[in-house]
Amino acid sequence: MIFVAIIIGCLIGALIGINSPIIPYTYSGYLAIAIIAALDSVFGGIYATINKNFDLKIFVSGFFGNAILSILLTYLGQKLNVDIYLAAIVVFVGRMFNNLAIIRRHYLNKFIEYREEKKKKDMDKKEV
Amino acid sequence: MNKKQICITLGIMCFILTFAICIQIRTINTANSTASQTLTDNGLRDEVLKWKEKYDNAYEELKKSEKTLEEVRQKATKNDDSSSKKEEELKINNTLLGLTNVKGSGIIIKLQDANENDSLATSDNISKKLIHNGDLLAVVNELKNAGAEAIEINNQRITNTSSITCEGNVTKINGEKIGSPFEIKAIGSQGLLYGQLTRPGSYLSLMSDDGIIVEVSKSDDISIEKYKGVVNFEYIKAIK
Repeated sequence: MIFVAIIIGCLIGALIGINSPIIPYTYSGYLAIAIIAALDSVFGGIYATINKNFDLKIFVSGFFGNAILSILLTYLGQKLNVDIYLAAIVVFVGRMFNNLAIIRRHYLNKFIEYREEKKKKDMDKKEV
Repeated sequence: MNKKQICITLGIMCFILTFAICIQIRTINTANSTASQTLTDNGLRDEVLKWKEKYDNAYEELKKSEKTLEEVRQKATKNDDSSSKKEEELKINNTLLGLTNVKGSGIIIKLQDANENDSLATSDNISKKLIHNGDLLAVVNELKNAGAEAIEINNQRITNTSSITCEGNVTKINGEKIGSPFEIKAIGSQGLLYGQLTRPGSYLSLMSDDGIIVEVSKSDDISIEKYKGVVNFEYIKAIK
């Protein structure tokens, strides 16, 4: 059910995104930062699901809050002539890699456990 | 929160994310640039785009006002015999000045810089393998000599006030930059134009000897757009 909703959402988003008008080039920088922030939230969400403390409210607020906050900070940085968006990229992408590493380890462990169990079962069968 | 709500929220969020990514990718693709990370570069680029937009808007307005002018003129000359004659005269004058879209039979010349490794080219002077403003001038001259009534190079109409100049590594006609390959359209007597331009010893034959790719073709349906600028004068006065 959840996966279906995600896939449908992605498909509709891609379809409309391909056919929609483009934004002015100046604002594409802000949109890029917002996308990175949102992606960070998504990986954070997956990490939380693995840890079994996923909370939809926190996820949604992080998704939109981070995106909007990063846009505002980038704007502020542009006004102050400081490349704050660089800091945002470092933080978000760094966290993304962290979360990805944790997710990878989790699934790798699962995979190894699964194989060991299979081996045990095979051994049991042979013994029988 | 029940499961349905969770599904809908996640779906909407995925929608927003993919939507944003698609738009971003398309924006970057159309901006057609090597990735420049500095916002100052973006600012400069944006300024150029803004000016272009302004120019386009102004041009559109000019077109509109020209249309209304035409309508007003037609209304004024509706019930008047003498002014309708004037109207016709005006039309002829505008056509002569290159201020109207015209069509007719004539020839199309396609010119392209010589291939770098073309060993057939007799000249080893690399400059001769490129098309310069002087070459275009010579071709236009020959076309006019052969009685061409309307000439256009890469969508730039050649009028009384047009100049063909060399600006560094580009050619400018009517103040607009154009570059190789060139497509020269000319309306006039097909036989005369074709014969004049393809005769042995013509400027085009000299150019093709140097390796420049020349292609001349007749066409019965050539349409040439009007001059997009404004023609005005300050110093000349008619003698009565």
